[in-house]
Amino acid sequence: MDNIRIEATERTPEVDFAFDDNNYSFRGESYPEDINIFFGPLVEQLEDYFKNLEGTDVTFNFELIYFNSSTAKVLMMLFELLDTVAEQGNQVTVNWIYETSDDNMQELGEEYGEDLEYASFKLVAQDV
Amino acid sequence: MKAEKMLRLRDDLQEDGILICYSGYMTESVLSSLGKTIKDKLTIEKTDKFVIRGVFSIFVEQMQNVIRYSDEMEVKVSDDSVLELRYGVLTVGRKVVDGKEDVFFVAIGNMIKQHDVERLNNSLTHIQQLDAKSLKALHKEILKGKTPEGSKGAGVGFIDIARISKNGFDFDFIPVNNDQSFFTLTAYA
Repeated sequence: MDNIRIEATERTPEVDFAFDDNNYSFRGESYPEDINIFFGPLVEQLEDYFKNLEGTDVTFNFELIYFNSSTAKVLMMLFELLDTVAEQGNQVTVNWIYETSDDNMQELGEEYGEDLEYASFKLVAQDV
Repeated sequence: MKAEKMLRLRDDLQEDGILICYSGYMTESVLSSLGKTIKDKLTIEKTDKFVIRGVFSIFVEQMQNVIRYSDEMEVKVSDDSVLELRYGVLTVGRKVVDGKEDVFFVAIGNMIKQHDVERLNNSLTHIQQLDAKSLKALHKEILKGKTPEGSKGAGVGFIDIARISKNGFDFDFIPVNNDQSFFTLTAYA
């Protein structure tokens, strides 16, 4: 699988999927004009790649400043996917990186993270 | 006369604390431009950045509701594209809420189908009564479940608005004709 790197735009986050060392990240703001056009292909490639993955260390970083409710749905799906990847025998670490004192992002991170059963979850407060 | 009329409109809006008013067809590009303008205006005023994000989040959810659901709409279907425009009214401003000065609000108004009034009214009344913990639980339940029937997004836009609106929200309906009512929702950041 070729690595994916997409620069951030005003309405979409930077995407960095390094399949070769299993390090993935979203960084920035997310309220795409069309949620499916932006996230559809990305989620599909992750699903494809993760399907037969075993015994691997996977790190996924969510470093989002703002996202809309349509993106929230995609994030929920990704968290479920990552938990499945961990369940099938991979060491999955999910980092939720937010700005220190951004209570809203912290709460959202807790909301997503609390349901992970197999993947390990870290809330990372970052000074900006 | 023309100038007098426009000046009166401007003065009326400003007296109500309105910083931005848009009445017309709402599209994703209108959302982008107005969104940037709101951020710029609040940044110039040195508004706390988390308050700016709150106002902006409410604005996005409110705008996308009109873009997706306003019942006042025009469509042109051709072989390779569908042009769709939906009409709504938006105001962004600030006012005194429960003795607190300078509370920012985002208000939206648009036509909805008469038969959607009851469902929307029930749903918003329910959300309005929930505390933070219950809002979070409902938010998650809907995100994890199937997207509600008729929804073109995640189906959690109103819950998001309720969560972000630190000073609450209110809403109202008025029948316009046999088939439609006008719906308005004001959320206080």
